[in-house]
Amino acid sequence: MSEMLGNQYFLSRNFSKAKEAYEKVLLSEPQNDFIKKRLIICYTQTGEINKAFELFYEIVKKIIDLITNTDLVADDCPCPELISKYGNVKPTEECSHDAKLMLGMLWLFCNSQISFEFFNNLSSEEKSDERIVEVRNIIKEKINQNEKHYS
Amino acid sequence: MSTENKFNEEILNSIAEGVITVDKTFKVNFINRAAEEIMGFKKEEVLGQFCKYILKCDLCQTKCPIGIVLETGSNLYDYSSVIYDKKGNRKPIKLNAAILKNSDDKPVGGVISFRDISELERIKQQSDIISNFFGIVGHSKAMQEIFKLIMEISESDATVLILGESGTGKELIANAIQATSTRKNKPYLKVNCSVFPQNLLASELFGHVKGAFTDAVKDRPGRFELADGGTIFLDEVAEMPPHTQIQLLRVLQEGTFERVGESITRKVDVRVIAATNIEIHRALKEGKLREDLYYRLNVIPVLIPPLRERKEDIPHLIKHFIETYSKLYKKNIPDISDAALDLLMKYPWPGNVRELENVIEYAIVRTKNDSEIDISNLPSNIKNTSAGQSIPLKSFRTENAASLLSLLEKHKWNKTKVAKELGIGRTTLWRMMKQLNLEE
Repeated sequence: MSEMLGNQYFLSRNFSKAKEAYEKVLLSEPQNDFIKKRLIICYTQTGEINKAFELFYEIVKKIIDLITNTDLVADDCPCPELISKYGNVKPTEECSHDAKLMLGMLWLFCNSQISFEFFNNLSSEEKSDERIVEVRNIIKEKINQNEKHYS
Repeated sequence: MSTENKFNEEILNSIAEGVITVDKTFKVNFINRAAEEIMGFKKEEVLGQFCKYILKCDLCQTKCPIGIVLETGSNLYDYSSVIYDKKGNRKPIKLNAAILKNSDDKPVGGVISFRDISELERIKQQSDIISNFFGIVGHSKAMQEIFKLIMEISESDATVLILGESGTGKELIANAIQATSTRKNKPYLKVNCSVFPQNLLASELFGHVKGAFTDAVKDRPGRFELADGGTIFLDEVAEMPPHTQIQLLRVLQEGTFERVGESITRKVDVRVIAATNIEIHRALKEGKLREDLYYRLNVIPVLIPPLRERKEDIPHLIKHFIETYSKLYKKNIPDISDAALDLLMKYPWPGNVRELENVIEYAIVRTKNDSEIDISNLPSNIKNTSAGQSIPLKSFRTENAASLLSLLEKHKWNKTKVAKELGIGRTTLWRMMKQLNLEE
């Protein structure tokens, strides 16, 4: 299986097959961050939220811009349609931990502020994962940087 | 650009096939002149865009041609598909697809070459029309006239009233009218007015609001609303109760109606094709069908003759049904014997084409594989009716002598050619000529 085949599945929104193809490529190209970025989305759609978060955490720590600089149109990013599929849940609305985590990750591709609000909300949960707090802080820092840049 | 690349581009621009290449993320990185022409896009509008948004191929989401090559490892040749050009026009194409690999043998892009086969399909469709018009078999003059009329009215949105006995194929004619019309890609709904209880037909056609009657538990749009912008086929229209006829008349005149139990007036744009198998003048005389509605429906009348009045279609219909049901029952039934055909030609066919179809299906089931249909394989009612009666034969004589004579003259009395055109054996033709007192 090739990266290109994974790309084809991803473009046609066949996330489970895209995941299979990308996972195989990642074995021989463990540093391919482009694939990891797409795998995050695939995992959220195959119900493997923990795997998605593992990669998300890795990318956010290493190079958050890779996600925040996504051009939704030019990159044919599926996140807006996926978020809408889940009913445009707001960060403060009642929903499961996994759903919030998934939406927090997907929102970072579209809107850092809303993603931050999801992670901020998750951070306030009892026995919150330290990595979630770390992600929230990195996103906040990124937002502050952007605000400084534009002010 | 290097000289070599420039040469390659010139070569690709000089060919008639459209060529598009994509990178590994499926973004277009080359398009030749023929592709620009077929799709109506300029190069600068396409480069850097995802190919699925440019080609809008019906396979993009399900079976991407390049995806198939990636999955199977084999290139695609002459793969049939459909694309939509910049203006949204549908274009049937034949395409080839291949993968471009780098020096490490890893896929880094793909190439699709394609040719527009719209013109070829149009010619093919036209030739098909003669023998098989949207699934309707009809070689007789009467049926050819109907096919011609359908093509002539294809640009019109006028109401059509199809008249014909039961089993003559009114619904197939309605389908053909819809399929050739400018509304062919819009909603097409069919309502058989005789199957709904009288009090529910209005609700079915025009919808209802919650509480309009006992079972109306929620608001429901009617068929007219659902068909907005498209076509509705009202079969057995003369079975419609009088009050619903008034509502239908209003839709035809003004395009307006109200849902049952509601006072809000709604407007729709629906083309109506209606059909009935009853004797229309008697229905008008008895007051069963409103005269004003009849005149509104009868803008373009299509009268389908009963099968007994177009017996020259029988051999072709038999051939068509033998092919259809042989495939269905996985049998090889090459033909029908002259004697059996003779019998079927004499039968009056009160149930018209539908009855003939049923008879052939029955015969196929009863005929041994690799044998032709014989009299013994036909249903007993056909054998009994035809054997003892002379009426159909008599009717056949008067109705078909003229058409057979003109066919003989057309082929300069070459019986082999006439038999071939009729789809019958020479012996049968000879017998027919004898019955009709036709001699050279």
